[in-house]
Amino acid sequence: MIRLTFSGVTKCFDGRTIIRNFSAEALSGQITAVTGINGSGKSTLLKLAAGLLLPDTGSVIVREDGSVWRKNDRCRRVGMVAPDMHVYSELTARENLDFFLGFRYNVPLSDRQYDELMSRVGLQPDAILKKRVRNFSTGMEKRLHLAILLASGADVWLLDEPGAHLDRAGRCLVQREARRAAEEGKLVLWATNDAEEEAEADASIALSGR
Amino acid sequence: MQVSLYRAVEAVFRKEALISLRSRASWLVVLMFALTTLSCVSLLMQGDVLSPRLAAAMLWVILFFSLLSGAGRGFADEEQEGTLMALSVYGSPQAVLFGKGIFMAVLLFALSLLIVPVYLVLMDIPVFSVLLLFAALLAGTYGMAMAGTLLSALMVGAKAQNGLLAILMLPVLLPILLPAIVLTAGCFSGEAVRISYLVGMLLYDGIMTLAASLLFDFLWYED
Repeated sequence: MIRLTFSGVTKCFDGRTIIRNFSAEALSGQITAVTGINGSGKSTLLKLAAGLLLPDTGSVIVREDGSVWRKNDRCRRVGMVAPDMHVYSELTARENLDFFLGFRYNVPLSDRQYDELMSRVGLQPDAILKKRVRNFSTGMEKRLHLAILLASGADVWLLDEPGAHLDRAGRCLVQREARRAAEEGKLVLWATNDAEEEAEADASIALSGR
Repeated sequence: MQVSLYRAVEAVFRKEALISLRSRASWLVVLMFALTTLSCVSLLMQGDVLSPRLAAAMLWVILFFSLLSGAGRGFADEEQEGTLMALSVYGSPQAVLFGKGIFMAVLLFALSLLIVPVYLVLMDIPVFSVLLLFAALLAGTYGMAMAGTLLSALMVGAKAQNGLLAILMLPVLLPILLPAIVLTAGCFSGEAVRISYLVGMLLYDGIMTLAASLLFDFLWYED
């Protein structure tokens, strides 16, 4: 059981408090929605969970069966999809995947695994074989992000509005994969403003946006 | 199944090489800068002979500014393309540091192997110890590349990155530039050179590698 705990977290940027004395918990095996108005700190909360930001006060701790994750665990076991996160536009989808898997100490995918993964996220392997990511549409790039997340085998999924820029089928794909991940025992933290996506979640964390 | 940090460093190195080859601008700028400087200097000299110390200093100044024009791109390109976040989420900072640092060192060393023979021919400079010159270039370019990579990471998010990089780079690189110039001058003049200069450069490389490794995690995380 993986447990992500925010305890009395406060985070400020340029003198403005984004998150104030915030406490909450998310558990593996379920989808936890993070909701709140624009500027309420949803993305900041996910970055705190990823360890990309440190809280000004309080703590963000990931525990698995009682033992606390160290920085190395987060590097290897957290995956994220976010609007301001991009892959390398000069590389192809396969090269990006190979890079991120190698970078994460994972073994590379075989051709068959790669084809299956691309089909799973709705990308045609043959059509994008030699296509660099800079020639992808925004939706295609989002699907590639999801493919990287899936291939990385991350145990904690941090999804920051992953349905943005995706068509209806793309949004359904994200919901389906998030549900599957939760059923496999992964922790899914999902920042969203979409009522339908929020309804999909098993638990919810509401940010006040003060 | 997981493999060692080596594979992660290799992945970053390969990615850097692939992107550099495809977007030729970055290393072509470095190469053109070096060739332009070389041409100007050799044309202005008009056959005059430079003293070994001056010739050595000029060579390292060319390499220093080539590094400046190349190293600044290391993290600025990642920042511009929005890939820094993916790098932070999906892997180890140490792999980024060493992958980028070693790539910059290889690029700079390859550049020096290209520039030095041209420089020697154009300026009509004899070399009395090729092995020592080779060792000085190897140790010098590695130390410069590691320092450049660390400082380039420090500059992420800063305004006027190139200006700041130049200001910070000079004091950081002086401890390796000075012995490199003395060693190179010795190779050009044929006078005996104390090997302690080379030991000093290797020590600098070791300390810079260790310091960069220890400091990089702090630079990598947090806003």
